Amino acid sequence: MLFLQLLANGLQVGAIYALTAAGFSLIFGSTKIFHFAHGATFAIAAYLFHFALAGLGLHWTFAVAVAALSAVVFGVLLDRLMYAPIQRHEGSFFTVFVASFGIGIVVQNLLGSVFGRGFMSVSTPLSNSIEVMPGLYLSPLNGLAVVVAIVCFVALHFFMTHTFIGKGLRALSENPELVRTFGLSPRRLSTYAFALGSLLVVPGAIFTAAGTGINPAVGHHVMLISLAATIVGGIGSLRGAACAGLLIGVAENLAMWKLGTQWSEAITFAILFFFIIFKPSGFFGRATVS
Amino acid sequence: MLRKTLSAIAFAAGLVSAASIQADDIEIGAVFPLSGPNATYGDIFMSGADLAARHINEDEMLSGNLNILYEDSQALPQQGVVAMNKLINVEGVPYVLSAFTGVSKAISTLAQRSETVAVNGGGVGPDLAELGEYFWNVIPLANNEVGALARYAVEDLGHKRFTLVYVDDPLGESILGELEKTLPELGAELVESHSIAASAQQFSSVAARVRSDNPDVVYVASYGSQQLQIVKQLRDNGVKAQIASYSAFSVPELQEQAEAQGALFTTQSIDWDSDDPVTKRFVDDYKAEHDKNPTSYIANYYNAVRVFGLLAQALEEQDKELTGANLLAQRKATETFELVGGEVSFQENGTLQAPIQVLEVDGSGSGKVVSVKAAE
Repeated sequence: MLFLQLLANGLQVGAIYALTAAGFSLIFGSTKIFHFAHGATFAIAAYLFHFALAGLGLHWTFAVAVAALSAVVFGVLLDRLMYAPIQRHEGSFFTVFVASFGIGIVVQNLLGSVFGRGFMSVSTPLSNSIEVMPGLYLSPLNGLAVVVAIVCFVALHFFMTHTFIGKGLRALSENPELVRTFGLSPRRLSTYAFALGSLLVVPGAIFTAAGTGINPAVGHHVMLISLAATIVGGIGSLRGAACAGLLIGVAENLAMWKLGTQWSEAITFAILFFFIIFKPSGFFGRATVS
Repeated sequence: MLRKTLSAIAFAAGLVSAASIQADDIEIGAVFPLSGPNATYGDIFMSGADLAARHINEDEMLSGNLNILYEDSQALPQQGVVAMNKLINVEGVPYVLSAFTGVSKAISTLAQRSETVAVNGGGVGPDLAELGEYFWNVIPLANNEVGALARYAVEDLGHKRFTLVYVDDPLGESILGELEKTLPELGAELVESHSIAASAQQFSSVAARVRSDNPDVVYVASYGSQQLQIVKQLRDNGVKAQIASYSAFSVPELQEQAEAQGALFTTQSIDWDSDDPVTKRFVDDYKAEHDKNPTSYIANYYNAVRVFGLLAQALEEQDKELTGANLLAQRKATETFELVGGEVSFQENGTLQAPIQVLEVDGSGSGKVVSVKAAE
């Protein structure tokens, strides 16, 4: 029964990782910008959801809208006001990375100053587990996280394969010059990538605020997982990042079945090293936005 | 005439200069977490230290104004060493407040080498008592806290099976060691211990493991945001056993956390209603300034700064320099100190010994005392 319990927990954690990693992978695959501040987007969405719900007393649907809007606005502003000028001046990959890293730290400190540096969580009965079978406890959040992740991925797949912008984003990841030749603006597509990638962190941020609680440094862990999942999944592959996120979440939890609890986080890096050594191209071979 | 005027000017300048030397600020340092997930502790520690400095300056205990120079450790040993180096080598302070077991252990060698006094009021690892004569503790250490809680849980509540969830650092290791030593002596057992990384935030599966241990008591040895996340996820995931911890549970966020209600924790015993003038002034002024009750951490850092004030005052009366070596000698020569909580003395190893109280989180902000155990 412990195995089933750990698997259920792993699926919930994996669903959150998968969504966040897919967002990072979409941005990185399309724009080649190492968006380290993706973790900051996660933290902003989580905090504003908490603020809208607990601070302003809004209905949860409005709180979700506030979180989604804040994540998208933050991602787009960052792209327009920071990454675009750096790229215009032909800043290196490293310059963009350092700038993004700096933004992550600034956001962490700003959140700490505005909302306090301590722990916060959304008080909801959805996070309370009930015993569904002897020894197996599940909370409504367990199932909700998995369902929302599936819905998001189906919608994302449809968007990427059936809409003009989605096809443009896939083309951008393949060949930006060709995109320009066809009269599309890589800059505008880059903005769409940031908007969509940032939107994908919102469900994970909300489930984290309700399930595990948040602190201003919550984005670091998310970023670490997103990065590992992007490499394991194959750089630029949305499907790969999603599968890798799910794999890492499940493996982190199942590791506790036979190993000590301290090995949980190490499993992420064990998987990462395994792929770097034996399958450096990741789950799905070549780098594509699929 | 000119000579007289110049002499008068020189004399006046001398007086002004002497006066400015007299009125020079006296500076001590503090290495606290001011950013990162444990920054909330830094705010708490600072409120106690600043209040003590304010009282010392209001009372004009020293020849100059006492200032505290704060440096950020982020509760990380490496950052702590950088901060300590700056305070010793750039600022030249003789006395530094320290916090967190890992940070305190990391800076202790610098303190010893440079003959700078480091005083801990927040870390509780038992080996903090063995870090040399320049490292002092104004807080009872984990061996006292763990022992008091174990005795209460076993002897008063009849609990026998303990599970430990501990952060993988010097503090967690020391609490594991204390439980392994103490519980068998009391006829209880440590059924299982679960180590977690300091950065871990997901504990639903740790909760599943804890449930399968079927303990009477889950002892949580962590701090900062992480301990709140552990408590929430233990309760959310169906762990109904008694939750227990040490003085890290005295932070306001945990005291107000719904899932933590009923949890047990320990601190040194302080009677907040005491009539002794030092305690009363501390409690009254803290309440007036912050509109809430103080906690033991705040009292500890108040005491740490007050100890400096008392020692420095004694040294100035003897026309001695305020150096780490002189402060140490003066501490050894002083039998007792009037601090918050009453008259106390340092043990030979530089650690204060105080009775321990067991408290229950009850939403009041400071907990309800359920038992007081003598230090062992």
